[in-house]
Amino acid sequence: MKNVLIIGSGIAGLSCAIRCAEQGVKATLISPFPSERAQSVMAAGGINAVLRDCEAGDSVHSHIEDTLRGGSFLGGKNAVTGLCTRAEEIIRYLERIGTVFSVDPSGSPSRRAFGGQSYKRTCYCGSSTGKQIVSALVMEARRYEAAGLIERRLWSCFHSALIRDGRCCGALLFDESTRRIEAVCADATVVATGGQNSVFGKTTGSTQCDGYTAGRLFMQGVELKNLEFIQYHPTTVETAQKRMLISEAVRGEGGRLFYTDSGRRVYFMEDKYGSRGNLMTRDVVSREIYAAGRDVYLDISFLEQKEIDERLPEVRELCRKYRGLDIAREPIPVAPSVHYFMGGIAVHMNHETNIRDLYAVGECASMYHGANRLGGNSLLSAIYGGWTAAEEIAGREAAVRHYDFSGLAERESAALMSRMETESRFPVMYIRDMLSETMNEKLGIVRDQPTLTDGLADIDYYLSVADKINYDPAVMPYFNYSLTGILTLSKAILTCALSRTESRGAHYRSDCPQEDDSLAYASVITYDNGAFRVRFDKEHEYES
Amino acid sequence: MRVKVLRQLSPFTEPYWEEFLYDGPGDNTVAGLIDYLNYHDDIVDINGKKTTRIGWECSCLQGVCGGCAMVVNDMPRLACETFLRDLKGEELTIRPLRKFPVIHDLVVDRSVIHQNLMKSDIFIGAYQPSDGADHEHQYSVAKCLKCGLCLEVCPNYVNGDSFFGAIFANDCYLVSARNSEKRKEITELYHSHFGNSCSKSLSCMDVCPMKIETIASIAKMNRQRG
Ligand SMILES: Cc1cc2nc3c(=O)[nH]c(=O)nc-3n(C[C@H](O)[C@H](O)[C@H](O)COP(=O)(O)OP(=O)(O)OC[C@H]3O[C@@H](n4cnc5c(N)ncnc54)[C@H](O)[C@@H]3O)c2cc1C
Ligand code: SF4
Ligand code: FES
Repeated sequence: MKNVLIIGSGIAGLSCAIRCAEQGVKATLISPFPSERAQSVMAAGGINAVLRDCEAGDSVHSHIEDTLRGGSFLGGKNAVTGLCTRAEEIIRYLERIGTVFSVDPSGSPSRRAFGGQSYKRTCYCGSSTGKQIVSALVMEARRYEAAGLIERRLWSCFHSALIRDGRCCGALLFDESTRRIEAVCADATVVATGGQNSVFGKTTGSTQCDGYTAGRLFMQGVELKNLEFIQYHPTTVETAQKRMLISEAVRGEGGRLFYTDSGRRVYFMEDKYGSRGNLMTRDVVSREIYAAGRDVYLDISFLEQKEIDERLPEVRELCRKYRGLDIAREPIPVAPSVHYFMGGIAVHMNHETNIRDLYAVGECASMYHGANRLGGNSLLSAIYGGWTAAEEIAGREAAVRHYDFSGLAERESAALMSRMETESRFPVMYIRDMLSETMNEKLGIVRDQPTLTDGLADIDYYLSVADKINYDPAVMPYFNYSLTGILTLSKAILTCALSRTESRGAHYRSDCPQEDDSLAYASVITYDNGAFRVRFDKEHEYES
Repeated sequence: MRVKVLRQLSPFTEPYWEEFLYDGPGDNTVAGLIDYLNYHDDIVDINGKKTTRIGWECSCLQGVCGGCAMVVNDMPRLACETFLRDLKGEELTIRPLRKFPVIHDLVVDRSVIHQNLMKSDIFIGAYQPSDGADHEHQYSVAKCLKCGLCLEVCPNYVNGDSFFGAIFANDCYLVSARNSEKRKEITELYHSHFGNSCSKSLSCMDVCPMKIETIASIAKMNRQRG
């Protein structure tokens, strides 16, 4: 039987594992913690699909258009067509495996308006859509676990890919419970490790998404794409421990953004963009809030309390808990913050990377969202990507390979342990703190060449230190060995942001504020023995 | 504030108490406090002696992933939604959940939760909802974090050998409500791994961060008997 190694058990990893199992491919699903801890459970607002009983005038074609336009036409057109065309199938599947959607009186999933979309097509489960989907997928995966077709391994962290003769043969994994590195061979390897949050410290998302896997793979020859496109979500609030998302569902349900001027409320988005102004795409709204240069609020208190409790119960509860604020009575003070990564591992339409038998799916991969992602399209693409990779893998002949990586795993284990026995005067977590400070300062909503260049110099310095310092035994080995990969990824992000000398989607350069047609292509970055090379994908290599 | 933490370096070593002094902001959560002790500066114990950083699990930092479940002042809670201002006394004690094996400090291995659900075939299969199923309760039950706080506090749950706890009761309800064909099979499992031994202390509901009404699942499952 063919076997596939899937790294990461959020919605993308789970969907891929289940699809593999359905087709008789054995999946080993690894992650440090169970799926309930993945960032996917945090997704609140919904998942987009044009269903048979859609709003009058809506169509799959319109969903495709909105997605491509929202992404400033950098998303893969053929891939987006596939995504939107199968969206209804995905919703029906989710219903069938037991996802508890909010439903309208006819029993069909309810839909709400979301930013950048011409029609109401965001299906939702209250404001805990991701959690409800994860619960259903976990149950479905369990069925195949019981049948021996999915094997889960916890405490496992990605270390590096096993690449021989241009093909990926599996991965080295570090096990936190045994503190050893082990080689796991597979006919295909799928990376589903989510976004790059830790590069920015604490974001709206999970602390488990650190970008290490993308960074390390990059160092092993895997190409990355569109890294400069980072989504700032316009509405987040400060809490004691992070910036917390206020779901776009609040604006979808009618929420209005305003600031006050001489005691008067100015609904600046509506003033500038008309009645749907609050639901412009996230890049636009974030830039407008930034440009307002004063405290901005989001108001939903005009809705009946009952309506808020029906449609946005989790948002009300989060604000009450972490801010002592009742959204049914008062407006929410909001500001933009890093939220989603449109860029990531470059993949072809079948989700294979430039290394044969190595795939990437979900937020860690870059394909559908171009220069800006529409809310509700990410959950959809995580599932669709997982399916697409699984279907490709199942349809291929298994490679006959005989490599023995156990010696390599032993050597890496021994090397890691001996480094852990050293003493560092420069703890790894401090470098990570400095890194996030640099990235937040130098790669904000508005960028320019001098600031980005400064940022690069900072990272080069951290990289030069990281290679020399001993490991810090006061934290887990993973935090130590992941540092260089995370720094390398950060350098790649800044390098791409410098290379794109135009403004497009979420990438805004005050020194080149216009779109430049000659750069209307995805950026692709490669790592060549320490040299970072960026090219624009004019031949659409990654579209097929 | 004095903070006592029950530590354990690895699954293979003995646990020990260590004391710290917290001088950070008062409006912090317990998660924020641990972060502060760990990363505000070099970590030292209450006597100023250098020590290792406190291991704990987190992901969402907003009470929706269940990662940071631990026992704070003898109450099982999620650290990221437990505010210092709501705790009484000048001293804080933090220890890992007791009913699960420790991996490192406050990080415990809760895989038994998943194993038990897997052993007992808790999955929906074909969606065939029962008539009059309670949509709101299903929604609530599907929000279960699998955090294990309810198992920690339950007087009947020991180590998951035969009694599987509130998590199981709730998931049994979800499966039987979403697939009426499995109802009979699930009802039997429910009684043997939960219903027959539950003494209805309902302490599980007091600690559940998702406020899941396990009693409603129990009532619905009991009604399905026969
Ligand atoms: C607050 C919030 C709200 C959101 N709301 C929406 C919404 O309403 N609609 C929408 O479409 N999208 C939404 N998103 C985006 C969406 O949630 C994510 O893009 C999506 O869930 C990503 O899924 P994933 O499976 O790719 O990754 P994740 O769910 O992040 O899973 C990553 C997995 O990889 C594992 N992992 C990470 N690193 C390693 C490693 N080194 N080794 C091994 N395993 C590793 C993790 O443990 C985890 O299991 C939201 C995001 C946030 C933060
Ligand atoms: S029922 Fe509540 S306490 Fe128990 S695991 Fe689920 S969320 Fe946690
Ligand atoms: S970190 Fe997710 S519940 Fe506390």
